[in-house]
Amino acid sequence: MTKHSDEGSLFRSQKFGDWPTVKEALISKEIGAVFILAPMAMQLRLDGIPIKVCYLGHRDGTAIVVGKDSDIHDFGDLAGKICAIPSRYANQNILMHKMMRKWNMEPDSIDLREVPPPEHPTALLSGSIDAYIVGEPFAAKAELGGYGRVLYHTKDIWEDFISCVLVVREDLIIDERELVQELIDGIAKSGKWLDEDQEHRMDAAEMAARGDYSPQSPDLLKYVLSKPVDRVKYTNLAPLKKDFDEIMELAYEIGVLSDRIEFEEYADDSFVKPLSELDWNMDKLASGNEPKSGGK
Amino acid sequence: MKAKLLLFSIAWLAFITVSHISTNIGFERFQKKVRVALTEERDELIVGFLPVT
Repeated sequence: MTKHSDEGSLFRSQKFGDWPTVKEALISKEIGAVFILAPMAMQLRLDGIPIKVCYLGHRDGTAIVVGKDSDIHDFGDLAGKICAIPSRYANQNILMHKMMRKWNMEPDSIDLREVPPPEHPTALLSGSIDAYIVGEPFAAKAELGGYGRVLYHTKDIWEDFISCVLVVREDLIIDERELVQELIDGIAKSGKWLDEDQEHRMDAAEMAARGDYSPQSPDLLKYVLSKPVDRVKYTNLAPLKKDFDEIMELAYEIGVLSDRIEFEEYADDSFVKPLSELDWNMDKLASGNEPKSGGK
Repeated sequence: MKAKLLLFSIAWLAFITVSHISTNIGFERFQKKVRVALTEERDELIVGFLPVT
């Protein structure tokens, strides 16, 4: 996300460490929007927090990782093993249950344990877990480190997998539509720019690593954005009812959600524009943020 | 008579405007919008993120 939109509005990011703090920040209006896990957004709405899912952060970008020399070669081999998940509210948890059903496995046949994502690779290396499912760059980290192997990329087992979503406070959706539209247009334009040229992705990795955006090395980010090139996608980010209905139903059935909830109650896709209408005006980007290769 | 009518109209317009700002916009937001329009101040939105995937 850029700090300044074409229109000059200022968008600042703020990192949170846990879910209750995010909830409080939304209630106190300390933040206007937040990227969180899709099932978490549904549960927030069920808890009465006036928010709506307006856009996605990305598609795919998650992998199931096992030890490089492990005897796990397909999903069935995970039976009886310990697998780390980022959170019970993560769509990665929902995916594991979906796969267990597909492979006719009992819901408790894999020991799923909540582990903070940055600790997944080290836990695998130390042998305290047999596998993990996590968003990037923590899957690539074990691969690049030479001790992990990707069992499945989500793109191969759940097409257009959704992990994190952009949630916006409902009062802003009503009162500050232009500002919210600027934010969503910015995310959409950034995604389009990233996906239209591999060189743009490499520039983005350099920019993210040298700024305050990511503590990860540029080499790791470049790996994530290129090996393979569709490992994570930044287009097709409109929240679609069919995708969310599937997540909601599975999340409810496995007890992650306290109740069922209709898509219209927690989502608002009215800010989504066709990508053909969106392009960065590269001349207006804040100084110091211009990518080397330019763009449209 | 004309002066009275003019004064009444101005007062009525001011009353309606203030009521509208108070009821539908809120003075804090209105002041912010005025500052954004007239000064160097920018519209601002803080976007949180929870790195848990």
